[in-house]
Amino acid sequence: MRIPSLLLRRIHKWIGLVIGLQFVIWSLSGAMMAWLDMKEVAGGPSRAAAAAPALSAASAWPILRRELDDIPITNFAVRPLLGRYVFEVTTPVGTMLFDAASGRRVRVDAALARTIAAAAYAGNGHIIAVRKIPEITFAVREHQLPIWRVDFADDENSSYYVSASTAQLLERRNDTWRIWDFFWMLHNMDYLSRTSFNHPLIITVAFGTMWLAITGFYLLFRTAWKPDVRALKRRLRKRR
Amino acid sequence: MADDRGVREYIAVAAIPERSSSHFELGNSRENCGYATTFMASPQDACALNFTAFRWSFDRNVSVPYPLLARRTHKWLALVIGFQALIWTMSGLYMTAVHIDIIHGDHFIRHPEATPITARELGDPIAAAASVPGAQSVKLHRLLDRPVYIVTSRSGATLVDPRTGARLSPPSEAQIRQLATFWFAGMEPLDKLSLVSDLPSEVRGRKPPLWRAEFGGWNKPTLYLSPETGELVTRRHELWRIFDFVWMLHIMDYQERENVNNTLLRLFTWSAFLMAVSGAWLLLWSFSNRRRKPRGE
Repeated sequence: MRIPSLLLRRIHKWIGLVIGLQFVIWSLSGAMMAWLDMKEVAGGPSRAAAAAPALSAASAWPILRRELDDIPITNFAVRPLLGRYVFEVTTPVGTMLFDAASGRRVRVDAALARTIAAAAYAGNGHIIAVRKIPEITFAVREHQLPIWRVDFADDENSSYYVSASTAQLLERRNDTWRIWDFFWMLHNMDYLSRTSFNHPLIITVAFGTMWLAITGFYLLFRTAWKPDVRALKRRLRKRR
Repeated sequence: MADDRGVREYIAVAAIPERSSSHFELGNSRENCGYATTFMASPQDACALNFTAFRWSFDRNVSVPYPLLARRTHKWLALVIGFQALIWTMSGLYMTAVHIDIIHGDHFIRHPEATPITARELGDPIAAAASVPGAQSVKLHRLLDRPVYIVTSRSGATLVDPRTGARLSPPSEAQIRQLATFWFAGMEPLDKLSLVSDLPSEVRGRKPPLWRAEFGGWNKPTLYLSPETGELVTRRHELWRIFDFVWMLHIMDYQERENVNNTLLRLFTWSAFLMAVSGAWLLLWSFSNRRRKPRGE
């Protein structure tokens, strides 16, 4: 079967249009990402954690050890949490926190999540909402539920995310990040999940762009700049 | 149509080789100053400008009006931006085509399932930390299946036996060799093992010294291990090194390779955007003109 030239031309034209449009989007999103301050995108200034006290001699490990008995443990750590120490015990079914001095279970409730977020916050807004998020959003796409979301009333609409299982501050998001993330999506062409830049669509368009760029550059160079270069050479030869 | 003269002229300047030939010229003959006189207060001003400035100059016989100078500037600017756009495209293609998991080197590293342990096998971590002054945290780690505590203080990390609470000496060279070959999942043999304190740029920002284990093959997989604890700090290989290099080209930070807010990049990205948009506009405009013309006449 022979494909008619007109059809081929149309295909060529539309592919060119799509790639040209994507080039505009790439340059705009690239410019915006270069423009937005990465420190702001990362959450802006934060308060350093207060220096943890020395690991105390009082240890509830003997009690906890008996309690945990023969539960399989995949990970185990002792780490500071808001001026005290906690045992972080990870089992195949999840992570639990225990107070290192008393051995009591530490549950990450709304009050604790609020305290953790407030301790890291360096701005001057107050907390307006603390709630458990029902599903993973773009802001915490690299993490797992359960997660607390702590919203602050400030110019940047800051939202801090605290893990309800490990009590870690997961992300500090703000409007700068939200704008940045939108352009990141446009740049990476991963419109649904915003995570991957290794998908067939972007590879295909990138390849098409490169092909267009190289051939176009060569053609343009021949017509637009080569005469100038030749003239320059001529001129230099005459000088000599 | 009168209003498409601008574009036609633009195309003519860009496309007709002989008329558009220009070159750099330092200093000028007097008659060459002529074209500028209409825009200057006096011919002397124009020539003064020509004699003092290293300026664009065009063919001696062609008198060129000022807008053309702007267009030529634009044309040469476009060459510079266009060249960077080509670099962006090629580096972007590399970064998208080679999967990020491969770049991270996940494929040549073992991912052992951590064998579960029970609390009964673990001694008091806080008592274990007592042997390390200024201890701030403790974590359970496995060195070749052997459970150990890593106690971290401000001055570094220390290995402690989790059963007895006794401090363990840092891994020996032989143990590091064993650990490196344990972590490496590829087929290539270990080529070179050395303790480096002058860290290469591929591990910039890490705390020296580090054990560097280089394996053979074209990809040169390289593992970095901590001399204090034997932990696998990071891994590098040729595909990662290429990625790092094209990333540098992509963000135009030729020194640190990490500042995406640098002035050069900001300048080039906005210029590229303006060029892309004006180019698209010119293209659409010329097409729509061509189509409208027969109907109008």
